[in-house]
Amino acid sequence: MRTKLTLTLLLVLLLSACQQESTESTQTLRHSEKKVYRHSEDDRPNSLDPIKASTVYSNLLVVNIFDTLYAYKYLERPYALKPNLAVDMPSISENGLVYTIKIKPEVRFTDHLAFTNGQGREVKAQDFVYSIMRSFDPNNGGTGAWLWQGKIVGIDDWREAGADYDALIPGLLALDDYTIQIKLTEPYPQLTYTLAMGFSAITPREVVEHLGQEFGSKPVGSGPFKLTSFNSDTAYLAKNPNFRAEPLDLAYEGYDPELHSKYGIQKLSGKAPPFIDELEVHFIKETSSRWHSFTKGNEIHYTTVPKDKQSAVILQQEPLQLHPQITDQYHYTYGLEAGFVYHGFNMQDPDFGISGDEVQNQKNHALRCAIRKAHNWSQKNRAFYFGLGQVFPGIIPPSVPEFDPAMSIDSVEVDIEAARTLLSDYGWTADNLPLFEYHVSGSVLQKQFFEQMRGFMHAIGYPANKIKYQPYPNFGQFNKAVKNRQAPFFFMGWTLDYPDAENTLQLFYGPNETPGQNNFNYHNPKFDALFEQSRILQPSTERTALYREMNQMVVDDCVVISGLSRNKIHLWHKNVITFPDREIVGGFHLRYVDIIPE
Amino acid sequence: MNIWPFVIKKLIGAIPLLLGVTLLAFLLMVYFGPDLTYELLGKNPSQQDIDNIRTILGYDQPFIWRYLNYLRELLTFDFGMSMMKDQPVIDMLTQAIPVSLLLMLPGFILGNVLAIILALKATQYRGLWPDKTIMTFAVIGMSVSFLVVIIAFQIIFSSSYGLDWFPVRGWNLTSQEGHFSLWQYLYHVSVPTLATLFVSLGYNTRFYRAVLVEEMNKDYITTARASGHSTTRITYQFMLKNAMIPIITRVMFSIPLIIISGSLLIESYFGIPGVGQITYDAIIAGDQAVLKAVIGLTSVLFVLVLLIAEIIYRVFDPRIDSRQAA
Repeated sequence: MRTKLTLTLLLVLLLSACQQESTESTQTLRHSEKKVYRHSEDDRPNSLDPIKASTVYSNLLVVNIFDTLYAYKYLERPYALKPNLAVDMPSISENGLVYTIKIKPEVRFTDHLAFTNGQGREVKAQDFVYSIMRSFDPNNGGTGAWLWQGKIVGIDDWREAGADYDALIPGLLALDDYTIQIKLTEPYPQLTYTLAMGFSAITPREVVEHLGQEFGSKPVGSGPFKLTSFNSDTAYLAKNPNFRAEPLDLAYEGYDPELHSKYGIQKLSGKAPPFIDELEVHFIKETSSRWHSFTKGNEIHYTTVPKDKQSAVILQQEPLQLHPQITDQYHYTYGLEAGFVYHGFNMQDPDFGISGDEVQNQKNHALRCAIRKAHNWSQKNRAFYFGLGQVFPGIIPPSVPEFDPAMSIDSVEVDIEAARTLLSDYGWTADNLPLFEYHVSGSVLQKQFFEQMRGFMHAIGYPANKIKYQPYPNFGQFNKAVKNRQAPFFFMGWTLDYPDAENTLQLFYGPNETPGQNNFNYHNPKFDALFEQSRILQPSTERTALYREMNQMVVDDCVVISGLSRNKIHLWHKNVITFPDREIVGGFHLRYVDIIPE
Repeated sequence: MNIWPFVIKKLIGAIPLLLGVTLLAFLLMVYFGPDLTYELLGKNPSQQDIDNIRTILGYDQPFIWRYLNYLRELLTFDFGMSMMKDQPVIDMLTQAIPVSLLLMLPGFILGNVLAIILALKATQYRGLWPDKTIMTFAVIGMSVSFLVVIIAFQIIFSSSYGLDWFPVRGWNLTSQEGHFSLWQYLYHVSVPTLATLFVSLGYNTRFYRAVLVEEMNKDYITTARASGHSTTRITYQFMLKNAMIPIITRVMFSIPLIIISGSLLIESYFGIPGVGQITYDAIIAGDQAVLKAVIGLTSVLFVLVLLIAEIIYRVFDPRIDSRQAA
């Protein structure tokens, strides 16, 4: 008995000692000079090579390790560009075909063995040229070439000729060490946006050649942070001590005292970022683990509110109000995502799309429209997005300036009677309705989406045995089915690459049919003509009118059941000064994070 | 006892086994595994882009060439680059395997040692309240989902809603000076170990109890009792020694799974960069470079474990040696 008691006491002592030691070490860290900010994301990146920065997770890290020519202003909404490595906004020729960009001198890459004496050298215009070339090298597996394909003079020929990095591309030149010239095949008003994306981040040739493919896990750039280590759970970054000193000009960055003063951002005015010594980005898919780590107080400083915690966090939906226990402890902000979710039809599918038979085309059109009328966005919003999402008609989401708030909402309103009438008017009966396959990347949530969809379809008389769930084990397999036109109906999301509706309209441009981005395989000559007319126009009322006309065509043709932009709630500890936003800006805000010593 | 001829014979005998396992696994990977091409494509790919990716991934090579290349990789321990992570596979594994070992070892050792002790007690008091109590707890441990145990333990021991004694995440075993810290290790490993113990103890105790009960009913135990040996001597010197063959088998065959598989759930929930997550990600994504390494190394480890187990069998049961000699 005595032995057991002694053993129990020893165990308790040991556990207490662990706890005591750890508390001490935490306190020591708190009192040390180092400012460590621990950020969290709900998924993890694969590669940190800029040419593969196709996910928000990769992009978030890439724009902090590397420099891009342009960036988004920290606080200004709608999003606005500003020079980053560039000295100024590009000088554009009158015909819109030649861009000249000066870059800042004396900007250096962080140190690496591949540099002479291991010391980072100055970033030159030629590095930008090299970085864009990398996306077009077929041996690299880059995913960003689509941004400039067919648009920069000579770049496609360069790829065809074997991607020789010492060869010149007439449309992509370093005129001198600090001047870049880009010549376009036709005006491309979105070009400057693409130069703020991780895909265009600037990489040093000697390090890339030294590391080969490993560059994606050991990146070296000239951004505000440098990567110290990276594993499946966390990326550890340290402040780049040589990052150029550019004091924060709050007015220029879009500071609005009404919106931002409560976060303490004004304290950073005039100081040069980055303000923290170390940045940790934790990749936490498990919502309970992320929440417990956040609420613990001494682990991660920032999280978005996980779906399963929303009921515990939200007190009232309209206007959004959080529980006092949350607002007392944490800062918060919320906003619409720059993107949306939608259901799409494959217009090449004989059962739902367009074929050579005009009568059948009209029947199929009625069928698609009836399914759209059956879809209850409002219910979906309540059931899966806590009623916080914004339902909008068409494919121009509220996050872009071309969004039309006055557009008819008929296409997102449920109307069972009208759907039933439409089906019967065009001769659709339970016997002749085609098999409805719901293709998705499989998960519990997607299965729930399907069950809801099945309910909607049942309401218009679609037989249960003709509605089939078709899940895929991962996004790659699902994407393969879509690209190979094997998915007549699918559920997807789109994240905007830049704040311009061209980014969503091009999803319906005929020549972009699969395996391109037009997963709907939608071919409408009128739409294509308008797209070709508008894509070379600078932002203007004329262009907006064309965009909206195209939007209406897609709605009228019932190609897509769209859409809903989700709303995210961001929470962070009160000792952290930040204004988080991972939408289009994709991580530029991390350089402005500061921690108030306790 | 010269074991080298035995070892060499066993190793030669393992070659067809390894070839069979690797061939079967590779066949499944190539023809039934996920196609990574469409995971790696950019937003507006052309057919040429698709073909390029397939070439980079090696999908355009003939099957036999790819399999021979796999065997070469296995022999040289050079598994190339991960198809997803831009990291050499061997680097990923050498970083993650020690983490998984450190994470799983305490639970593994305690789970087996405590289970044997509890099984001995249960056997000793078979049918009485200690036996029933132990078995009740064992069944509870077996019945509750591991995921539920992890979440519950994390809330109880780590979160601000519970005792808040241990970390939720942030695996870091070094002191501020950058050296390995035992305290940091205990701080991070305690809750995962408790969760592992809660579940594994149930399975192990029931298994070991069954083995020991079977042993207890044998004639030599009755003879030993009749000869007047003490219960302690009978239990530990005779019964436990004779029950060691199945115990060793169970323990040894768990080792490759601990080294290579780790524990996905523990690693995910506690933010531990172990091999479980790497393997899971590779399976889901179809990262064949990582999968080939994991499957190949697991097969090799199983062969080695089998060999070592047979050597240890001889220590506990010399009859095996003499039978094989005959």
